[in-house]
Amino acid sequence: MVSINYAAREVTCKIVYYGPGLSGKTTNLLYVHKKVPPTTRGKMISLATEADRTLYFDFLPINIGAINGFAAKFQLYTVPGQVYYNATRKLVLRGVDGLVFVADSQAEKMDENIESLTNLKENLAEYGYNIDDLPIVIQYNKRDLTGILSLPELEAKLNPSGWKYFEAEAVTGKGVFDTLKMIIKLVLEKAKNSRNTPQVSREPVPANQAQAETPAAAQDSVTQQPVTAGVMATDAMAVRQAVYNANTRSSSQEEEGEPAVEKEVEYGMLKESKAIDEPLGSQFPANSDAGAVSESEIEGESQRPFPGSTTSRILRRERRITVSDFQPASRGNETPPYRGHFAGEAIRKDSAPVQQLPTPIMAPAQRIIKKKQGFFKRLFGIK
Amino acid sequence: MNDDNLIIYEEEIEKIDSILARMLKGAEAKCALLVDKDGHLITRQGFTHSLDTTALAALLAGSFASTKEIARLVGESEFSVLFHQGKKDHIHMSLVGDRSILAVIFDDRTTIGMVRLYAKETASELAKIFASLKSRAHSGGPGLTDEFTASAGHKLDDIFQD
Repeated sequence: MVSINYAAREVTCKIVYYGPGLSGKTTNLLYVHKKVPPTTRGKMISLATEADRTLYFDFLPINIGAINGFAAKFQLYTVPGQVYYNATRKLVLRGVDGLVFVADSQAEKMDENIESLTNLKENLAEYGYNIDDLPIVIQYNKRDLTGILSLPELEAKLNPSGWKYFEAEAVTGKGVFDTLKMIIKLVLEKAKNSRNTPQVSREPVPANQAQAETPAAAQDSVTQQPVTAGVMATDAMAVRQAVYNANTRSSSQEEEGEPAVEKEVEYGMLKESKAIDEPLGSQFPANSDAGAVSESEIEGESQRPFPGSTTSRILRRERRITVSDFQPASRGNETPPYRGHFAGEAIRKDSAPVQQLPTPIMAPAQRIIKKKQGFFKRLFGIK
Repeated sequence: MNDDNLIIYEEEIEKIDSILARMLKGAEAKCALLVDKDGHLITRQGFTHSLDTTALAALLAGSFASTKEIARLVGESEFSVLFHQGKKDHIHMSLVGDRSILAVIFDDRTTIGMVRLYAKETASELAKIFASLKSRAHSGGPGLTDEFTASAGHKLDDIFQD
C-alpha cells in the first residue's frame, strides 16, 4: 500500500519485479541503477547467492524529487525467480503497490512464464490481493535473442487480461525505462483513485528538506554481497565504528577511575581516532555536562563531533563549540527534545509535561495597604 | 486492498518521535527506527545520520518477514521479538501493533535487558497511537490530485531517459 508521510513529506510506493528465474528482473534494476543520476537513486542492495542468483530480493530506492511539496519515492524490489525460493518470493509481495511481470520471450521458457504467473496469482491471493486490482505491466524480455516467440503468441498465452506490455532487452536497456515509467504512472493513478488517500496539500517545503531525503544517493557502487556477509554499507559503518570504539573505550576507562590517556598510550590505541589524541580529554569525567548532551539531538550533520565524546568535550572546553551546536537544523514545528527523564529513572506512564505555575505578580492587596497607610499617615500627620 | 494505505500525519509523528527519544534516553541506546512491515521507514530517532535508513528499513522488514515464515513452520504464528547480536552493535526488533516493527540499535553501553524493557513499554504506547491512526485513516478525504500525477509524469520523462 502507498505510504504517505506528512511529517517527512513523502509518498512511498513499492513496485515488485516478478517473473521466472533468469528472465532479467535483476538486470532491469541494474540498468536503472546504472542510468539514473545518483541524486535520484539510492544504493542498490542485492541479497544474492555466491553465484549471483537472487536469494531473497534486490532493492533499489528511487526518489524522483518533490512534486507539489511531497517527495515521491519508489522502492523497486525483485523476487527470486527460481521455483525453489517460493517462501521468500512470497514475502516480497507484502504491501506491493505495482507489479512488473518480466517474461522470458524464448520459446522453451514459455512453461516457466506460465508457471510463474500462476504462482504470482496464488501468492497474491494469500495476502488477499486480486491480480486484477493491482497495477501491472508485462515486459517481454530478451527480444534480441533467436528462438523467441512472436508478440501475438506471447500476448495470447500470458496476457488475456490485456495489461499494458513492453518489449525489452534488459541487458542493453531497451524498454526498461518505458516499463518503469508506465508502472509508476499506473501506481500513482491507482493511488489517486483510492478513496482513503487524503489530498496532498501544496504547501511549500524548504528546498533542503527534499534534498536531505536522498542520503544514500551519493553512493555509486552496487553492493552485490553474498548472504554470508553483512549487508550494511561498509564505508559509513567503518567510520562510525572507529568513532564509537574510541568513545566507548575512553569512557569505560574513565569510569574505572584510571587516567584514560595513559592507558591508551600504553596499549597503543591513540592512533585509531583523533578523538582521543588530545591529552586534555582525561581531565573531564565521563558524567560531565558535555556527556549529558542527548544523542538524539545530533541528527543532521555528520561534521559535528559526537556529543559526549572526548573531542566534543575538548572543543566545548575551548569554547569552540557550544551546546547549541548540537541542536538539529530546524524542521519547522519540531517537538522540543524530551528533557524530563534520565537514565535509571522508570518511564512515567503519564508523560504530560509539568504544568508551569503562573508567575506570581505582586499582590494588589499589599499595594492598597501601602497606599492606605500613606493615606492615614497623611490624614493624622504621622511621619 | 488499498483500503489500508499507511498515512501518517505530522502530529502523530511528533508524538511517536518524543516517545522514541524518551526510550533512547532511558535505555541508553544509539538509535531507533520505526519500520512498516512492508519495508517503509516511518520515523527514526537518535544517532542515525551515518546509516542508510531506507535500505536498513527494507532489510529489517525483510528479516522480520522471513522470521515470521520460520515461526509458521515451527507452529508459531509470529515471533514478536528478534535480536541480532554483533561484536559491538546489536539490534533489538519488536513488533508494534500488527503492522510495524520497532528496531533499536544499541551497543555495550547498555544491556539487552534494559533495551527489551524499554522497547516493550514503548511498543505498547506506540500501538495505541497506531490504533487511533487506523481509525482516522478510514475517514480520509479524496485521493492524490490530478496535478500530482500529471507533474509526476513529466518528471518521470525527464529522469528516465536512455
